[in-house]
Amino acid sequence: MNATFTLLEMRRITRDWSAMFFTAGLPAFFYLIFGATVDAKGQDIGNGNVAMYVMISMAAYGAVTATTSIGGNAAVERVQGWGRQLGLTPLADSSYIAMKAVIAMTVAAVPVVITYVLGAATGARGSATAWTLSALLTLAGSAVFALYGLVIGTAFRSEASVGAAAGTLVIFAFLGNLFIPLSGALLTFAKFTPLYGYAALARYPLTEGYLPDGTQDPLWLPIANVVVWALVFGGLATWFVRRGRERQ
Amino acid sequence: MTRDTTPAESGAPVPSGTGTTTGRPAATAPAILLRDLVRTFHPLRGSADTEVRAVDGVDLRVEEGEVVAFLGPNGAGKTTTLDMVLGLTEPTSGAVEVFGRRPRAAVVEGQVSAVLQTGGLLRDLTVRETVRMIASTYRRHAPVDDVIARAGLAKLADRRVSKCSGGEQQRLRFALALLPDPRLLILDEPTAGMDVTARRDFWDTMHADADAGRTVVFATHYLEEADAFADRIVLIAQGRIVADGTTAEIRAQATGRTVSAELPASTLAASVERLRALDGVRSVQERGSRVVVSAADSDAVARLLLVELGGRELEIRSAGLEEAFMALTGDTGADGAAPHTQNDRPQELVR
Repeated sequence: MNATFTLLEMRRITRDWSAMFFTAGLPAFFYLIFGATVDAKGQDIGNGNVAMYVMISMAAYGAVTATTSIGGNAAVERVQGWGRQLGLTPLADSSYIAMKAVIAMTVAAVPVVITYVLGAATGARGSATAWTLSALLTLAGSAVFALYGLVIGTAFRSEASVGAAAGTLVIFAFLGNLFIPLSGALLTFAKFTPLYGYAALARYPLTEGYLPDGTQDPLWLPIANVVVWALVFGGLATWFVRRGRERQ
Repeated sequence: MTRDTTPAESGAPVPSGTGTTTGRPAATAPAILLRDLVRTFHPLRGSADTEVRAVDGVDLRVEEGEVVAFLGPNGAGKTTTLDMVLGLTEPTSGAVEVFGRRPRAAVVEGQVSAVLQTGGLLRDLTVRETVRMIASTYRRHAPVDDVIARAGLAKLADRRVSKCSGGEQQRLRFALALLPDPRLLILDEPTAGMDVTARRDFWDTMHADADAGRTVVFATHYLEEADAFADRIVLIAQGRIVADGTTAEIRAQATGRTVSAELPASTLAASVERLRALDGVRSVQERGSRVVVSAADSDAVARLLLVELGGRELEIRSAGLEEAFMALTGDTGADGAAPHTQNDRPQELVR
């Protein structure tokens, strides 16, 4: 691990104020609107309350926004020539990926910490296990979306495409049951979309799989969703990287 | 300045990674050794094109301390060849050695570095941050402020890369290339897109550096750059080396002249034989009753034609540098195709 390199990469991220707002500010704002100020916020859900349910959802949304844009920007940087510059140095690809992963996880932690602190201050309640486990799952699962960003960045090779990728997360977040509780046929469809499994898994320590409409997801369902989407994104990333190398 | 960071030049053992000491080549290993190097590219999906041979059988040996220009038109295969020397691209077949070892190993040890063509900097970093970032990837490197000064960037150190001009960004790439204090420095069209002043400033900086004994290989399609800076010019066209010699030798070829004259038909065949046998004659072509002779010593050819062979209507044309360059790097598939272009456009009628 190369501290200088990692810290300079971090400094670049803190310079991008608009991206930091969407990553850190927006989820916190959403939590205050949908979680902290609603009448039902104190109502019990599983091992906690409604405010905590919304808090985890918004933290998850912020975390995936961070990892998608970091993964996407890394891909765009590399295809736009920085990869060649790094290819002239002793830096190994594996070290580069490890540093980017540390950065992605660090930045993803920002909205999680902010939203959790806000939650604790504004009435989110739950068991200690639910607090700890949900935070860890939110962070760990967001890594899958670094791959999503990587796929989009490698496929379309522009900063704009990375912005678009982060934007599509809003749609996935709706379908992932993050913003409003879904029901009926839409809910059934939603269970196949990429953010559903991740969000359901992050909330599992709180809800134990129970949904707002009273039904329950078995634990294997969100796990299967996350694994399948990780494989899809990983496979596409490999394919696009290989195709990009062939083309030169 | 920071020469002490180059162990190879001070004669100290090179700090090597695991196991490389056993394969440490003798001091006589050339800086670059290419053997029958080939690199092909597959065409784009859905395109009817056949495989493209970007580099088509290149053999080359560059000794330590040489300053060599790769001269050739766009698409000649210069960048692809240099990419293979730097380990950025794998050869399809053939061998590449840099100081007697694999290119990637030479890069990791900091023996070779490069200034690549435009692109490839992070716009949101400052100049100094960029140098620090790349410096951090080396186990040993020249001091950051030192390479910034040597690249003439001291006043711009805290400027964002996005606010630097093309020439300034190129200086930054040069600063990055100086970090490992490499024995071999590769420059791929280092002045592309620079204006005349920036180009001259860049080469002034380079001159100062190459005088210190570094091996430098640079690609360019500017004849003047190759002429002014290199000891040796390697002309590349269509993936092959078409000429290789000292600058003086290439210039001699480039400044040759074309002599043509009408000859009596009865003795034409014998005259052509005599012309071919003359020293310094590169080609003799027949165009009806006219012969076209390309030669280094045009006076000797003219004398022979007029005095002994009964030539009439003699013309001497100087081949400009540009024309010689085009003749050498043009379509080399058909013999004698190039001199036609010289004949179509007489530059100077001597007599």
